[in-house]
Amino acid sequence: MAPSIRDTAISQLRRGVLEFCVLALLREGERYSYELVRALGDADGLVTTEGTLYPMLGRLRREGVVETTWRESPSGPPRRYYRLTPDGQSVLDGFVIEWTRFRDSVNTLLGNGVLK
Amino acid sequence: MTTDTLHPLAADYLERLRRAGRDLPAGRRRELLAEIQGHLSEAIEPGASDAQALTVLDRLGEPEAIIAAEMPPRDEPPNRRGVAEWAAIILLPFGGFIFGVGWLVGLILLWSSRAWTTRDKWIGTLVIPGGLATALFVALIAGGTTTNRYCSGFPGGVQHCTNAGGSSTGSTVLGTAVFVVLVLAPLVTAIYLARRAGRPRSL
Repeated sequence: MAPSIRDTAISQLRRGVLEFCVLALLREGERYSYELVRALGDADGLVTTEGTLYPMLGRLRREGVVETTWRESPSGPPRRYYRLTPDGQSVLDGFVIEWTRFRDSVNTLLGNGVLK
Repeated sequence: MTTDTLHPLAADYLERLRRAGRDLPAGRRRELLAEIQGHLSEAIEPGASDAQALTVLDRLGEPEAIIAAEMPPRDEPPNRRGVAEWAAIILLPFGGFIFGVGWLVGLILLWSSRAWTTRDKWIGTLVIPGGLATALFVALIAGGTTTNRYCSGFPGGVQHCTNAGGSSTGSTVLGTAVFVVLVLAPLVTAIYLARRAGRPRSL
């Protein structure tokens, strides 16, 4: 059965904003993959399957908006640390402006009464 | 890559992921497996219960879903109408005049293209099989029945003759209406297919 328009729209919205959420998490400094994935996974309603975030991190790396270094972990296998590149920083800045406009317009259209 | 320190359920999961990802480029697969293994060894403490391990695996999602997210998006329909699509759009209405085979070629092109949904393909197939050639064929047959008297019976025996058509204006109007529909339907379908080709759709 084809997914309903509501399900696809919501999952596309999620997918659309997730990459920028990763960039935003890195604004304060570097983090390793598991930390990033857990932070996104713990945010309410943002991620349904944490595992699919790893392919997304790989895409961000290939796009050059983040760069990574491997470091030894005090326990277990080495960790891959992510940080923003200057390119990633400007992509994030651009998104913040666009998102604010988008959010305000959608909120206005949905009606302040509903959203208070 | 050692997995012996992993929880047995986690090792099992990693093995499923390894198998699901056999079509990935080797480098991508190795990288992804290393990341997921890192996740598993961080999230599942040594000596964790099966229930704790299963909770972590549930949050990760099915290995197949992770592999699907890693795959290049090759299943997306083309955004533009290619040569094959245009050929199908033209052959479906007009191909019937090329010894009838043209329509069949159009049909094959229609069904082998990824630019249309299955529903569109059925519309292209059923409205109207044979295309405009069908309209011409039907018109010739109907024309024959309106001008000739049809007789049946054994030669030399009693003959029953009936006037097969054209006796009332009602059937002439009906016949013309059917003919117009038979001509317009394949053309409208062709325009519809041209507009629908390559429309983004949810998979």
